[in-house]
Amino acid sequence: MATQTREDISSQLLTFIRESFLAGDPEGELDADTPLLELGILNSLNTAILVAHLGEDYGVHVPLIDVTATTFKSVRTLSELVHESLSRK
Amino acid sequence: MDFDLSPQQQQRVDHMRAGAGKLPATEPDGIAGKDSWLAAAELGMTGLCLPTEHGGGGLGALDTALCLEAFCAGGADTGLAFGIAAHLLACGTVLADHAGEPVRAELLQGLASGTVVAANAMTEDDAGSDLSRLTTTAVADGDSYVLNGRKSFVSNAPLADVFITYAATAPSAGYLGMSAFAVPRTLPGLQVGSLLAKMGLNGCAAAQVEFTDCKVPGRYLLGPENQGNSVFQRSMTWERACLPAIYLGAMEGQLAQCVDHARSRKQFGRSIGNFQAISHRLATMKLRLETSRLLLYRACWYLDQGRPAVEAAALAKTAVAEAAVANALDAVQVFGARGCLAADGIGQQLQNAIPLNIFSGTTEMQREVVAKSMGL
Repeated sequence: MATQTREDISSQLLTFIRESFLAGDPEGELDADTPLLELGILNSLNTAILVAHLGEDYGVHVPLIDVTATTFKSVRTLSELVHESLSRK
Repeated sequence: MDFDLSPQQQQRVDHMRAGAGKLPATEPDGIAGKDSWLAAAELGMTGLCLPTEHGGGGLGALDTALCLEAFCAGGADTGLAFGIAAHLLACGTVLADHAGEPVRAELLQGLASGTVVAANAMTEDDAGSDLSRLTTTAVADGDSYVLNGRKSFVSNAPLADVFITYAATAPSAGYLGMSAFAVPRTLPGLQVGSLLAKMGLNGCAAAQVEFTDCKVPGRYLLGPENQGNSVFQRSMTWERACLPAIYLGAMEGQLAQCVDHARSRKQFGRSIGNFQAISHRLATMKLRLETSRLLLYRACWYLDQGRPAVEAAALAKTAVAEAAVANALDAVQVFGARGCLAADGIGQQLQNAIPLNIFSGTTEMQREVVAKSMGL
């Protein structure tokens, strides 16, 4: 896991969000900079699902205080969060 | 593992239980006024988990829950207990954990002594379970924030001196763009609506609260700007873990009422408690009470240990809520025709129990929390 690049993580998170919250994103609209909170893709329920996913698939446990508009802004910022957490392990 | 209370816990519980029985009599199902709050405050109820340096009891979640339970088991009105619990758990914990020193000093002493009543103003018409639909806004203006919006169901509002509220400070960040504020009732632009008629918990008065260009000094921001979600979620974990304890106390009193009735009521020449249809029903009521009590104690213990408590609190709240409704329905059945009359308060217990499945996160949302924590 620790050897994964930001790009690997980004690609996996894009897939997860497309499948979990966007019915597969048939129009291919989601990219790494799509504002997830602004567009309502991440509401409190979906964020809880995503946080659980980060814990299970990456072993990255994000405390509530770190679930912020900055860290959960986009797939790019999320990938950064996961990558940094993995690098510290 | 030790299932006994410590001597200190037992003493505290006995004190609350005995004191609850001596509270001033109120109209059945009437609204608890300031006199009832102050009498409860004399017992220490309004400051249980607030810091000792501000006059509170300094109790953790489990000890707070034990006191709330004892208060209702001793006969305190469930609505009054609900109002006090909301004041403590949704408001007091937030002020204690997130207010700056001047605001802590200004408000916490009053909360603990019951002279300041706090109300949690979160729910809006379109933002119940889904916080991303919050429409109340707070716009920075110099050293202040200007609040606009309407909170649709605020328990304690008619009595409250301070409101803990949440407003969008960065609307583009969805539910992660809200901030928490303490708003004194005296600030211009804050208006409390008329009393809301409710199905139960009538001891706790509720109303809408409207903010119209309400200028709130910056010192009343609770926690960092845009961190309202983490402030709120933490307060809800406290509330979900501790507050249902009032229903454990109420269920205990209800069960004792039912057992007494089953022993004394005679049909076909014998006590109805001799019929298994009744005795097994009472055994099932006891089972629901005891199992939900253990889950609640465990959730509170997790909170006190600093362990993740969100799932445990969701399980506890769900168990107590479903037990409270099921037991209240059984109590009506055990009492038969008398259960349908108002005099014994049996029907009112059912009406008090139902809201626990709605407030502080619906039972459906609690099941979602549990399902998500299993990776579903």
